[in-house]
Amino acid sequence: MRTIFHIAARDFLATVSTKGFIIAVVLPLVAYAIVLVAFPRFTNNQAPAVRGRVTVIDPTGQVHAGVREYLRPEAVAERRAAALNRMTSGPMAGLVSGSGGATAQNIVVGEQPHLAVIERPASALTQEKAHLNGPRGEDQQLSVVVVHANAIVATEPDKYGTYDFFVRANLDRRVQSEIRDAVHDAIVSARVGAAGFDPKRIDVLTTVERTRSITVTETGESEISPGLSGMIPMIFALLLMMSVMSSGQYLLTTTVEEKSSRTMEVILSAVSPWELLTGKILGQMAVGLVILLTYTSVGVLSLVSMAMLGLLDMSLLVYLLIFFLITYLVMGSVMAAVGSAVNELREAQALMTPITLSMMLPWLFWYQISRDPNSTFAIVLSFLPPMNAFAMLLRMTSTAPPPMWQVWLSIGVGMAAAAGALWFASRVFKIGLLMHGRPPNLATLIRWARQG
Amino acid sequence: MTDLAISLKGVTKSFGSTVAVRELDLDVPKGSLCGFIGPNGAGKTTTLRMIMSILFPDRGQLSVLGRPSAIDAKDRIGYLPEERGVYRKMRVGAFLTFMARLKGVNDSPAGRVAAWLERVGLHGVEDKKCEELSKGMLQKVQLIAAVMHEPDLLILDEPFSGLDPVNMRLLRDLILAEHRRGATILFSTHVMVQAEEICDHIFMLHRGEKVLDDDLASIRQRYDPRALMFEPFERGADVTPLEGVAGVASVTRDGGAYRIDLREDAEPSSMMRAVAVAMAPARLELRRPSLDEIFIRLVA
Repeated sequence: MRTIFHIAARDFLATVSTKGFIIAVVLPLVAYAIVLVAFPRFTNNQAPAVRGRVTVIDPTGQVHAGVREYLRPEAVAERRAAALNRMTSGPMAGLVSGSGGATAQNIVVGEQPHLAVIERPASALTQEKAHLNGPRGEDQQLSVVVVHANAIVATEPDKYGTYDFFVRANLDRRVQSEIRDAVHDAIVSARVGAAGFDPKRIDVLTTVERTRSITVTETGESEISPGLSGMIPMIFALLLMMSVMSSGQYLLTTTVEEKSSRTMEVILSAVSPWELLTGKILGQMAVGLVILLTYTSVGVLSLVSMAMLGLLDMSLLVYLLIFFLITYLVMGSVMAAVGSAVNELREAQALMTPITLSMMLPWLFWYQISRDPNSTFAIVLSFLPPMNAFAMLLRMTSTAPPPMWQVWLSIGVGMAAAAGALWFASRVFKIGLLMHGRPPNLATLIRWARQG
Repeated sequence: MTDLAISLKGVTKSFGSTVAVRELDLDVPKGSLCGFIGPNGAGKTTTLRMIMSILFPDRGQLSVLGRPSAIDAKDRIGYLPEERGVYRKMRVGAFLTFMARLKGVNDSPAGRVAAWLERVGLHGVEDKKCEELSKGMLQKVQLIAAVMHEPDLLILDEPFSGLDPVNMRLLRDLILAEHRRGATILFSTHVMVQAEEICDHIFMLHRGEKVLDDDLASIRQRYDPRALMFEPFERGADVTPLEGVAGVASVTRDGGAYRIDLREDAEPSSMMRAVAVAMAPARLELRRPSLDEIFIRLVA
């Protein structure tokens, strides 16, 4: 055990102190922090506090008053307050609360514009459009709305006119949207009034407040957006794939390097092949755990900062760890065996390609598995090593998790596969370590395993 | 308690259709300094790897320091493989400390490393990366890795290869010092004169089979060429009178001297006296057989 520990510690430290590891693991985290935390602080996505004129040419005489009323500063402020209230209590609440929430709110609704509505005759259209290219300032012309003559009273049965909308170049889209909403609201109210109805009454009758989805589970009710929770399986599969493949690749690389640099024989003078194999597998397992725990911690902290921790069933993290250990032992053993058998990395790629592709299968079908987690395809994949862990994690994090007996069966199958892979690796490792020359093919590896 | 450090009985190892070692019996007494000699491809490295349990024999029995496998006694064995290898990115001090820990040295391995580096003239290289050292320096570092845990058995595979004469002498002195300390030493070489200089016992391998196994004095006696080397006192003198000395079979020129082959019934010590009387010598000595000659005689 003492020698295994020393080998594992050396392999771990030698890997995590390389530039490659820092670039592969630490830099993405720094980039993530920049995007999530620093970037919004150094950029300004808020709409500018726009001030200016909205000119309405209204031959019907029934629209401009409604537009003016809609764009009155007090009315604008009231609608913004209502919009923010919906955001902070609705299904997207998590995204707009917490430290990033205020920024998110301002991005969505922008700064309150101050718009003066002016009515002009149709003859002034050319002149007013020319003002859209005039100098900027608090009295700048922002837009010209030309209401069609038949916008309120249909000239043919049920065939109403609309309006033309001219805007200054680069006018913020949220301000444009505010003016459009004002014209739309004013025209509808005028039409309803012209039809002999009370616009306020119609508004009351046609308004149904949008409600949020409430997910009912065995543990209670939660107000989580299905769209957001749908990302969780993908994130879990990504975490597993990244940690297993990274640490497995490190194991393969260091084994090949030690063999080609003839370091193996020096180490074998002090330890047995089995101790060397075990130490190397454990050392790189620790590397994989560092990657897994680092990224998982960052993910959990992100959820906490966005008040979305409810998206995550914490027990899934334990299963993620279990499936990581199992999948790593399978993949790590195979990679160590292949690494010991070849002379350079290029030769290893040829042997590893089929195994790597098989691991990619659940990843390629993650959407299908997540959408229908209890399909025959998904169930079969969750019992086939080495992809069983990915498939089972996708199913467990889906909206319809599998029964627990399937989870434990998948774990059992994975453990048996890990034991088999270790047995295979120990026998190939013993023979392959000092073999140089023509690289072996899969049949040769199997023969070595039988001989070993 | 056996007196053998290493014992091989009928050990055979093949790689595919090639038999690298065939039915090898080998007994290395404790405290001996043995040379394991033979040309390239004779099976020396394969044998040493089997002794170290890095390779495993197809047939036969093997015992190292009284154990059936070297794995059970690796802390008591030092091994310098023929293929030199280090963790190139690792610092020398860290590498040697790592190796010391693998060998079970737990009491201040760093101090022991520093002392050994000083001893082989590598003071101050602890913080250098292994890849920054020259080939000769790396060889010394690896030798330290093999001996610093004070092993009972030291196995060196071609330890002198690639060394300059100064370092060759340093290594020879280190080997002798380890032998004086009490370690059993088995080292392989294809340069037989090296074995001749320091070994007290020789194993010779040819095509995977042992062709010689004896102590050096017995070998020399057994393969006595029954010849004298003679250099006349007067340079360029006619040596014809020597051919008339009773017991002389022939006189032939050998470089700047003459080789006098003796008849089967001639006794070397009295022949030396008779030759000296016949002609004044500048040099007169019994010609000793070299291991090269013995090897050629054995396999010819």
